[in-house]
Amino acid sequence: MEVKLKLYGSSKMLSDKETLNIELPNNSNIETLRDALSKIISKKYLKNSLQNLSKTAAFFSEEDEVVNDSYKLKNKELISIIPPIGGG
Amino acid sequence: MTLHTAIVKIEEEKISSEKAKNFILSEENGAESIFVGRVRNENNGKKVTAVTYDVHDKVVIKSFQSICIDAKSKFDKNASIFLEHAKGYVSVGEISILIAVSSGHRDEAFKICRYILEEIKYKALIWKKEHYTEGNEQWLPGHSLRPKEEIK
Repeated sequence: MEVKLKLYGSSKMLSDKETLNIELPNNSNIETLRDALSKIISKKYLKNSLQNLSKTAAFFSEEDEVVNDSYKLKNKELISIIPPIGGG
Repeated sequence: MTLHTAIVKIEEEKISSEKAKNFILSEENGAESIFVGRVRNENNGKKVTAVTYDVHDKVVIKSFQSICIDAKSKFDKNASIFLEHAKGYVSVGEISILIAVSSGHRDEAFKICRYILEEIKYKALIWKKEHYTEGNEQWLPGHSLRPKEEIK
């Protein structure tokens, strides 16, 4: 399965585009997505800049509601990654 | 109408304090408090040239409205509030946030202005990337919305 990650804040370092497609095993949840994200960060040599992102980020569903780690992802679902916020 | 909130795409328009002053002007409200936040040329010893603000527009507009409604119900339901925040690349000296409040009395006007600013700092889905004179840039750290007990 695949999810589309809408990027905000520091997570924009992961791609020049607004979203990043991530391949996941079937029946994945947010916890699986965190693991996949951690691997992508290592692969892109961004560990220094985004060292804790996979742990500290929150995730929003398409309805803009926070989803917890057990939230089951659907194929092609759009999920927003919400890095720690810096305020105005 | 006593409430205006907006995200302003700086590439398209600027935040205007004149517009804010006109919006909050009211014969019933004798006190006005205006906070203007501008991009500073230094942060943590680094020379800053600009800040890029990234914003989750839909959620931020909802939270701006809810923060302002809360502020009115806490301090003065007749207050007029104008709130705009920049999105995009904002150069040093340019306005990044403007909060203008008119209220019946000065204490409430000050309190509403301060309350809105602090709530935005803590709750709004806004991220800042600083650009430095050396040509490099950095996303600033913030606080996580994930519950602390879940972060291992």
